Amino acid sequence: MSEHVAVPMRAKFFTPGTLVVFAVAAIGICIYLARLVLGIGAVTNLTDQYPWGIWIAIDVASGVALAAGGFTSAALVYIFGNERYHALIRPALLTALLGYTFVVIGLLADLGRYYNVWHPMLPMMWQGNSVLFEVGMCVMVYLSVLYIEFVPIVVERFLGHVALPGPLGRLNRFSETLLRLADRTLNRFMGVFIVAGVVLSCLHQSSLGALMLIAPTKMHPLWYTPVMPALFLMSAMAVGFPMIIFESILASRSFKLAPERELLQGLGRIAPVLLGFYAIAKISDITIREAWPYVLESSPQALSFMAELGLGVLLPIALFLMPKVRKSIPGLFAAATLAVLGVALNRINVFLVAYNPPFADRTYVPSVFEVLLTAGLIATLVLVYRAAVIIFPVITPGEPLVTPVPARAPSQEDQPWVASESPR
Amino acid sequence: MTVNRRAFLKLAAGASGTLVASRASANAVASNSGVEPFGVLVDTTFCIGCRKCELGCNQNNRDLPRRDSPQFEDKRVFDTHRRPDATSYTVINRLPTVDTKGEPVFAKAQCMHCVHPACASACIVGALQKTPEGPVTYDAWKCIGCRYCMVACPFQIPAYEYANALTPQVRKCTFCYEQIVTQGSRPGCVANCPNEALTFGKRSELIELAHAKIATHRERYIDHVYGETEIGGTSFMYLSAVDFKALDLPEQGDTPTPALTEKIQHGVFKGFVPPVALYGLLGLVYLSRRKEEVENTAADKDEHHE
Amino acid sequence: MNSLFCRIPSLTAVVTTALVTSHAYAASAASKTLPPNVPPSMLSQPNCGDCHTCANPTRQDDCLNACPRHTKAHTTSSHAAKEAPDSFVIDKLAEQYAGVNFNHKLHANMSEMGQGCAVCHHYSPPGRIPACETCHTKVANPTELRQPGLKGAYHRLCLQCHREWSHETDCKVCHQQPPAGAQPKSIKDNGDIMGQSHPVIPVPEKRVYDTPYKAGPVVTFYHKEHVELFGLKCTSCHRHENCSYCHDLKKTVAQKKTMEQVHAICSECHEKDNCSTCHDTKERPAFSHSTTGWPLNRYHTELDCRACHPTGKPIGKLMRDCSTCHAGWKTENFRHAVTGVQLDEIHSGFECTDCHVNRKFTKPPVCTNCHDDGRTSKTNPPGKRVERKPK
Repeated sequence: MSEHVAVPMRAKFFTPGTLVVFAVAAIGICIYLARLVLGIGAVTNLTDQYPWGIWIAIDVASGVALAAGGFTSAALVYIFGNERYHALIRPALLTALLGYTFVVIGLLADLGRYYNVWHPMLPMMWQGNSVLFEVGMCVMVYLSVLYIEFVPIVVERFLGHVALPGPLGRLNRFSETLLRLADRTLNRFMGVFIVAGVVLSCLHQSSLGALMLIAPTKMHPLWYTPVMPALFLMSAMAVGFPMIIFESILASRSFKLAPERELLQGLGRIAPVLLGFYAIAKISDITIREAWPYVLESSPQALSFMAELGLGVLLPIALFLMPKVRKSIPGLFAAATLAVLGVALNRINVFLVAYNPPFADRTYVPSVFEVLLTAGLIATLVLVYRAAVIIFPVITPGEPLVTPVPARAPSQEDQPWVASESPR
Repeated sequence: MTVNRRAFLKLAAGASGTLVASRASANAVASNSGVEPFGVLVDTTFCIGCRKCELGCNQNNRDLPRRDSPQFEDKRVFDTHRRPDATSYTVINRLPTVDTKGEPVFAKAQCMHCVHPACASACIVGALQKTPEGPVTYDAWKCIGCRYCMVACPFQIPAYEYANALTPQVRKCTFCYEQIVTQGSRPGCVANCPNEALTFGKRSELIELAHAKIATHRERYIDHVYGETEIGGTSFMYLSAVDFKALDLPEQGDTPTPALTEKIQHGVFKGFVPPVALYGLLGLVYLSRRKEEVENTAADKDEHHE
Repeated sequence: MNSLFCRIPSLTAVVTTALVTSHAYAASAASKTLPPNVPPSMLSQPNCGDCHTCANPTRQDDCLNACPRHTKAHTTSSHAAKEAPDSFVIDKLAEQYAGVNFNHKLHANMSEMGQGCAVCHHYSPPGRIPACETCHTKVANPTELRQPGLKGAYHRLCLQCHREWSHETDCKVCHQQPPAGAQPKSIKDNGDIMGQSHPVIPVPEKRVYDTPYKAGPVVTFYHKEHVELFGLKCTSCHRHENCSYCHDLKKTVAQKKTMEQVHAICSECHEKDNCSTCHDTKERPAFSHSTTGWPLNRYHTELDCRACHPTGKPIGKLMRDCSTCHAGWKTENFRHAVTGVQLDEIHSGFECTDCHVNRKFTKPPVCTNCHDDGRTSKTNPPGKRVERKPK
């Protein structure tokens, strides 16, 4: 086990960088409000031909896939007992939690009657044939599980010193009692939730892949395959660790920390195996279905498929397999980014690029507002993440190489990991 | 550790395997209530493109924006290809082909009211329902507006009120459900067709009628009833003198569109066994790990004490 | 099959009667051999087997032949156009549109060049022609899906010609609202048809077609022969054509006919013939009976083909023998040489039935009654072979 423990980051919330992100988030929130007031038609390019756009493909489908780090890390550490990766659990959990929260927020923007989003919970409206029903229920339960898993972190931070501001101060004692109760009970049952989280993830990550199987005639043959659920699950599991590498490096850079070099390299060894299984499954699927000729045709679909498979799966595998790349933080970062983008592109391909309705007279291109709202949601997520790691003990600082943890070292402001490379 | 990783992967592969390997009946949508479902036979060889069905539809479906009768006499609409939308449940197109006598070919498009509707199978809250009488009905009150039905429909029929900010609805042909089921009359389009290109009746009888028509007038029809078997059957069926693809009726297999997803869905959740089994398995691994850990910690503590 | 016309729904007495009658008509009309105009006397006794394939049809299993409505309900007797008013207004359903001023006389005259009254009056028994609404109810009969309602019946009849002829399907082409207060407009008399017959359409004696069939590109069609010799009526072949076939206001680009369509009309009679029956490498001479191996003598040339050949469309093999007509032929007055064999002295003394057992003259004669060496008329003819010479 790591000797280090997670601590709240000691950093100012606002920096020039965060202000830019804040601006993007503000624009996104304005568009979100406009969508609520003016309707979907006013801000999107969605039509009867293309009922789903980037809000579903990126905000929801890619969002769910990229939040897979939560369950893969939980499985790795808790179920398969690789305790040395413990330090990565909390950031991954927070990413998953925020990821899923923003999936729901993004989904609400896309739902015509967002105020009815709770309807699937009513037994009278249960619809067992619907893949979407299963995805919806699983995501909902999983989100609850993620919040429960996060409670110990809140307890750790606030137990014994709850001090709510202003009139809320009256609730201090009550909150304290709640936290104490949670502290006493939750740890005993945490295993139940951790395993549930993994199972729920397996279920809805795969079901997400079954969503588009209901439209066989509309889907491009490169992606329409009965094993799509398996491919989705495998790609979600494969993208979990690259996503952790990606965000861990970003976070350590943002907070001027030395990256968890050893752990990330360890993940970098697991990642190509999982990606490899995914690649083999994907290539065999195309081969068995004799769909290779479609790759060779000169269509946007073929190009996008080649980008997805080549740049998003095979290239990161190759990079991860090279020890030289694995040992350098920029190398790890590049490989992880490619894998993350590859899976995101896969989701975009399945939900948008492959979708070709029979009577389409034009193609769907997202509107500026759709893009800005999506960007705004991602920006807001980043801001909330930053706030959360400042408030809660999420990040475990790595080996303090040059200076003690949160202190600033001007020489490393740009590339904190550069210094850490030099000793080797 | 390697062993564990392998076990994990095996498990994962197993889990995804269950997803595809399991079998389940895809025909759970079909109703077996003993009611003989209704249908409409569209004989496109009689269709003259008068748009009276569009008028009848507009007059019958009171919640559609009202249009005057002269609006439906404008034949210039045929210059562009139209699809049913949120304000019209059925439209006629003049198709870019001619029949054997060189006459223009017209065909009406509307919800086909499939026997195994993909939209109803897709709907997350059961707002779209296949009724035993044939119509696929929509309940806006249940709808959450996810538009998965629009993704699922192989005929690209459900339309959405994108401009409505607060209470948008999915819009599609209602088969004039109230009228045909409670009042026993014909749907608006059928009742208003002057040339009786549309025949309303029991679906089974319409299939017989269609085949009898083909047998009688071999020179008039292609020997196929579109919708008899396509995607497991549809309530609106078509006869034609020209290739059905030209009538905007896409080529479809006989498998119901939602067959695969329902098979996967019911396979994964067959008696909740696969998820519970996965849970149990992972739980056991977790528990054994936990026990080991507790022992180790205890051992550690002992060492420290010494 | 239960939706076919044969079923008798319990409707009003009128409809039932009409349908029962049609049931009777239908049964007999289903037999293909009847000529188009069936005398009423023949209609009273239909044969169950004409429509039903099994001996005991039940309500559940009516085992009906595919007997289409147009065969069953098509029955016509001759009516003069004068029986109907020259023109009248069809307004039984007028709601959205004005009634239709229908010039019956004009249409009746035109129809004489086609299938006659039956173009529209597919059911017109002797006496008063029943009104359309006798069978075609205002709302289509839900138990009889094949039968259009009144609105459908009207529109289909008009549009079946007008659609091809004028290419106009606008409602207002027929439903003309007369100006308020004006007298119903009298329809202009289009003199070339009204009151006088259509100009004579030149009938070709023969047409030679150049076809893409490589083994025999030339098809010689003797039109005159088919009409005069084989007794075909104009409508036997031209019944799918209407005025628009020649008088198309906006002739659209002619559709290329499929091979089936090209052959359809010929194969109605020549169904069993193979390609070489019509196709040849060069133009063929007209039909001569001598090519069949039986040159007709001066008496037989006078006969109609069907006098010797059985009735029905195709000219089949000779099913009757000479004695059908020549019942009075006996040993004494029959000159056997016309058959190609002049009997020798011994055989000429026998009775006909000694060799032609049971008067089966189309079969080879029996020699074994006297000869037991197994001879036949071919190996040992009962006389001298002579050349047949029609006188």
